Amino acid sequence: MSNTYYEFFCPVKVIAGKAALEHIPYELSGLAAKRPMIVTDKGVRAAGLLDPVIAACEESGLEIVTIYDDVPPDSSTTVVRDIAGVYRKEKCDSIIAIGGGSAIDTGKAVNILVSEGGNDIAKYTGAGVLKRPLKPFLVVPTTAGTGSEVTSIAVITDEKKGVKLPFTSSYLLPNAAVIDPRMTLTLPPHITAATAMDAMTHAVESFTCMAKNPLSDAYAAAAIKKVSRSLLQVMDNSKDSDARLELAQASTMAGIAFSNSMVGLVHSLGHATGAICHLPHGLCMSLFLPYVLEYNLETIREPLGELLLHLEGPEIYAATPASRRAEASISALRKLRDALYKRCQLPRTLKETGKVTEDQLDQIAEMALDDGSIMFNPKEVTLKDARAVLQRAWA
Amino acid sequence: MLAKRIQPLASQAKRLYVELMFQVMGRALQAVSEVDSEVQKEAQALPEGFLFEMMVMPDGSKLIVEYIGDGRFHYHGDSAPRPVDVSIKFKHLTHAFLVLSFQEKTSVAFANDRMLVDGDVSYAVRMTRVLNRLESFILPRIVAERAVKEYPADLHLPEKLISAAQIYLKIATHFVQTVRA
Ligand SMILES: [Fe+2]
Repeated sequence: MSNTYYEFFCPVKVIAGKAALEHIPYELSGLAAKRPMIVTDKGVRAAGLLDPVIAACEESGLEIVTIYDDVPPDSSTTVVRDIAGVYRKEKCDSIIAIGGGSAIDTGKAVNILVSEGGNDIAKYTGAGVLKRPLKPFLVVPTTAGTGSEVTSIAVITDEKKGVKLPFTSSYLLPNAAVIDPRMTLTLPPHITAATAMDAMTHAVESFTCMAKNPLSDAYAAAAIKKVSRSLLQVMDNSKDSDARLELAQASTMAGIAFSNSMVGLVHSLGHATGAICHLPHGLCMSLFLPYVLEYNLETIREPLGELLLHLEGPEIYAATPASRRAEASISALRKLRDALYKRCQLPRTLKETGKVTEDQLDQIAEMALDDGSIMFNPKEVTLKDARAVLQRAWA
Repeated sequence: MLAKRIQPLASQAKRLYVELMFQVMGRALQAVSEVDSEVQKEAQALPEGFLFEMMVMPDGSKLIVEYIGDGRFHYHGDSAPRPVDVSIKFKHLTHAFLVLSFQEKTSVAFANDRMLVDGDVSYAVRMTRVLNRLESFILPRIVAERAVKEYPADLHLPEKLISAAQIYLKIATHFVQTVRA
């Protein structure tokens, strides 16, 4: 389907590579910030990942005023309010979020409160509520997958009402994303695999869904190439910091791609499965990816075929007849999943997760149909279709 | 003010067309929800009293319907009795015209950033499906195929003919009632 109109936007400065953390003091001073607060979680602190950040700042005479390290995996409105309270009490003037999706989303939400005032983050939910830039905000991702450092959305749970509040505004984007290979070096194998497959899915869906455009395509294709080349390398040698950096960059690039061209049915099914069966997001992505591509196949044959070049490299691409490339791309992804299963038992079917029962599939299908990303799936999905894909992903 | 006076006729025609289409869709939506079990099934997940709006930014034509329970929608014209729950906003009159004259599919318009969703996205997704169903009902197949991603396979011709006739009939009586009132 030719798309004759598109928009592309990414104003985040990307600071990536060796000794990237040491650029934090300079970046903050450029934003006139002198009293940063770190927002992170216990896991990051326990892994010793705060040390290089603190050292980098101290060496430049920049004091980290306070550290909040108790962000839960599913951040809530209360947590956001508490952190904003600490920020105000300590007279901070900027935020450094260090962690995965939850810490980053929390940082974004805290930034709304401390910039706009008040204690009730629910007031700012929705799209386009914010009308002006927020406080200086840096993000240091410690997983290579979510791409949250370049997306203009944050999701926070309102525990009292039991709902997830979405916040969307380009003002949520950080001033800079700092990608340093030291930050992902200690990520355990199964999280490395799952988060990298999340990035892979962002790129593949962005390249094959309805809002694809030439700019997001370029980012998506490059991200797919990096994940394909580096993921197994990292799985075999977790201390390979060059390959780690490749994955981290791929995640950011895939994030830029999908925040401009959206994702599709893999995410709809994944969000529903995650919510109902409490499975990690990346795992669900890896699990559903080939089944959804098979479902979409006839609508996405051309772009999916093109991806073979980035998945398998020029030799295999050239040796595969054009009419077989789309199928070959799916096989390449299945092969990668098998390799990951061998190395860290990353499940390939719902049954393999051991956490889903067959009688939950109807409920998952229903919920997937209400997910926003289903609007961008290239093929219209009915309840029956969603159920059929789930059945194929069962075992 | 000057700009208003020299506004080309084409733009006025677009405005009128969009306004008229909103009215037809609003009435049709109410009518379809009284006869079509698929639309009713979709609607039943909505909270009663749920208000849905489609509008042209910044302050153009509007279409407002309310879910009144039992799978039924009620068309409110262009004014809402209270703040709406979900609003689909076209960024410009031209974009609304493209979609409502079936030159751009609703899903493509979403993908192309022609419109914004304000409110709970899952309800917006549901309403998009309802609108797709509606379009396949009230439009001749050839036009409907242009408007929706996929023409529903379960909409067989006799059913369609009968239902469409029912709906047109209802729209017609609704128009008459409005004129009389
Ligand atoms: Fe994702």
